[in-house]
Amino acid sequence: MSADQEKLITELVEKGLAGDMDPINAIEDRVLRSKAKAALAKAKRAAKTATTAAPTEEKPATETIAETPPSDNPNKKFGKMIEDTFQGSLDAELNDTHIQLKPDNWFEIAKWLKSEPSLYFDSLQCHTGMDVGENMLEARYNLHSMTHDHKIEIRIAVSRDKANIPSIEQIWRIGDWFERETYDMFGIFFDGHRDHRRMLLPEDWEGYPLRKDYEVQETYHGIAIPKVKVGWE
Amino acid sequence: MGMLENRFQDNVVVAKLDKLIGWARSTSPWYFQFGLACCAIEMMAAAASRHDLERLGMMPRSSPRQADVMIVAGTVTMKMSLRVKKLYEQMADPKYVIAMGSCATSGGPYWQHGYHVLKGVDIVVPVDVYVPGCPPRPEALIEGLLKLQEKILDERPLTRKMA
Amino acid sequence: MGVIHGEEMVLNIGPQHPSTHGVLRLKVKTDGEIISEITPVIGYLHRCFEKHCENMTYDQVIPYTDRCDYLAAMANNFGYVVAVEELMELKVPEKVEYIRVIMAELQRIASHLLALGVYGLDIGAFTPFLFMLRDRERILDMFEMTCGARLLYNYMWVGGVSHDLPKGFVETAFQFLDYFEPQIEEYNNLLTYNKIFIERTADIGVLPADVAISYGVSGPNLRASGVKWDLRKNDTYSIYDKFEFDVCIGDGGQGTLGDCWDRYYVRMLEVKESVKILRQALAQMPKDGDVHQALPKKIRPPKGSIYSRTETPRGDLGFYIESDGSPIPTRVKMRSPAFTSLSVLGELAGGWMMSDVISILGSLDIVLGEIDR
Repeated sequence: MSADQEKLITELVEKGLAGDMDPINAIEDRVLRSKAKAALAKAKRAAKTATTAAPTEEKPATETIAETPPSDNPNKKFGKMIEDTFQGSLDAELNDTHIQLKPDNWFEIAKWLKSEPSLYFDSLQCHTGMDVGENMLEARYNLHSMTHDHKIEIRIAVSRDKANIPSIEQIWRIGDWFERETYDMFGIFFDGHRDHRRMLLPEDWEGYPLRKDYEVQETYHGIAIPKVKVGWE
Repeated sequence: MGMLENRFQDNVVVAKLDKLIGWARSTSPWYFQFGLACCAIEMMAAAASRHDLERLGMMPRSSPRQADVMIVAGTVTMKMSLRVKKLYEQMADPKYVIAMGSCATSGGPYWQHGYHVLKGVDIVVPVDVYVPGCPPRPEALIEGLLKLQEKILDERPLTRKMA
Repeated sequence: MGVIHGEEMVLNIGPQHPSTHGVLRLKVKTDGEIISEITPVIGYLHRCFEKHCENMTYDQVIPYTDRCDYLAAMANNFGYVVAVEELMELKVPEKVEYIRVIMAELQRIASHLLALGVYGLDIGAFTPFLFMLRDRERILDMFEMTCGARLLYNYMWVGGVSHDLPKGFVETAFQFLDYFEPQIEEYNNLLTYNKIFIERTADIGVLPADVAISYGVSGPNLRASGVKWDLRKNDTYSIYDKFEFDVCIGDGGQGTLGDCWDRYYVRMLEVKESVKILRQALAQMPKDGDVHQALPKKIRPPKGSIYSRTETPRGDLGFYIESDGSPIPTRVKMRSPAFTSLSVLGELAGGWMMSDVISILGSLDIVLGEIDR
């Protein structure tokens, strides 16, 4: 794309953001018009991110005196950093395998994890849902840093009756599809997700299959689901 | 014409129309490549260089309207079963269905805990030939197609069947 | 003359379509020929893999992992078995490690051959498809010689492999490698440097590196955008540290860095690197050793959870396994590389024409069995 075209597209996107779609629709060249529309859609998404961004957190005022010697295990090390920066966000003791967090300010913690230079967790490797029994559901995030090459696991537990976790799909873009899949399989709601619907199962499916007490429905659109052929077992 | 040349005197050849139509329909069935999962790869391998399906006259068609045989290759899920039915209805008569692989035959390895798997495609479309295997070798698929040819030869489309 | 005002049309590239990727549905909003938005709809092959894992023992799960990414079944087995062995802290004999690496690299060549051949087929080139499938059949012959199956093997077990290499395997493999290396030149002549192919794929669907990392893209797709990240070197598992090979990254050879041609070319280079690894592994492999381990009939890993990943032909395959000490896992989550590769399609395809979308989709090399599990 040439420089004037880019300038033209930027102007059109600004006008479009202000609500004026006529200049875009009036372009004769199809390629340019499509590119402008795509750029407008992108800008609208980015504008949404800017409005939902939380204010930056306060830096720890005094240096923290570690009572125990600093641990090499990344979960313990970074769990301590999270606790120092965001008081009261840990839900359990620090341990070797994971960091247990409360769901409340998970979005701010996630933004800090991605942007803090010494951590820089830029890749959400895996997002698992879990039915841990006792009426609790858990979402587990495996984070990894491509630059520093360290990884941690974060777990957030919520109860079945109020299974709401803030969505981090605007921070790690793969969170979009990962969270939709966890919602589909477990029924955990992710607040702030822009496209919250089922991913793998049809839209009119009932129930959340990977919960331990799931009972499969009898028919789907008139077609029987459980084994109907007699004499198999 | 090789076998028939220079054999008969001036004559009238009499044959049942049923058999003639069956003979014309059975050779070179064009298959609708409805590849869903792993069996689709074996279907493609059957059409590729080593086990060539085109030497038997079978051409892959991507549109149901141009095909005679629908080879359902792979697991049919609930979400897909509605589309299978629709595509089957879009095929023109005479049409036949081959259920390739154990998933299409009866649900395959997913029969026990698969809540989203259709236990056999014959719940939604009528099947003529079942080819077992997980996945069936290309040779097995070719045998299934040859069996289908035999079945079409034996069909008597014109005769009114006893109800 | 006035301007014809058109409306946006929503087109459906339906679940049934003639390509290997599988049952994928694309909802496409177009303005004439140019796309403004693409939404993939998946789930047409959801076969409840994770629900099955919660009801089978650890080694009964292995055939199900085969069927997830059916084009690279050995790699799936490998990933799962490495995860379970890491959970149990089990060491396997050296011969088993060599056999596993040999099978994984042969599978990588077979999978890439299929991916490249089908990519050419999607674009319209029929001949490279037939040639590449012909060579892939020779690799499948070697697999059949070892374990009896052509496509879905159930070969790698926890603690070992199911069958030892038969007599004559190493000679056959060397013969195949000697035959195969000049074939790569033939493919380059046919397709890689073909002017029409370059026109169709260069400068199209450029994926910048930071977008790729945020979307979790991995494997050849990430390496084509210039990021030097290969799990076999960066996060080594098994005995990959004993072999010398390069990590191939794209360099914008025929256009921009990170376009479709780069993703195609990185796979072609990876095939060459796999041949290198194979030659070293076949030469270094110990001749005798046991391939099964004395394990109890029901494997009981200790209580705990693990996330481990391996490099398959499509990218990083991750297995998150949680066990509570019983022979049946509590949860097995398979993090598939094609899932993340497909999620970036919406970003890549805006502003291109319909036939370019097919080009971009083919270059991402997805397999729906893995995405839907």
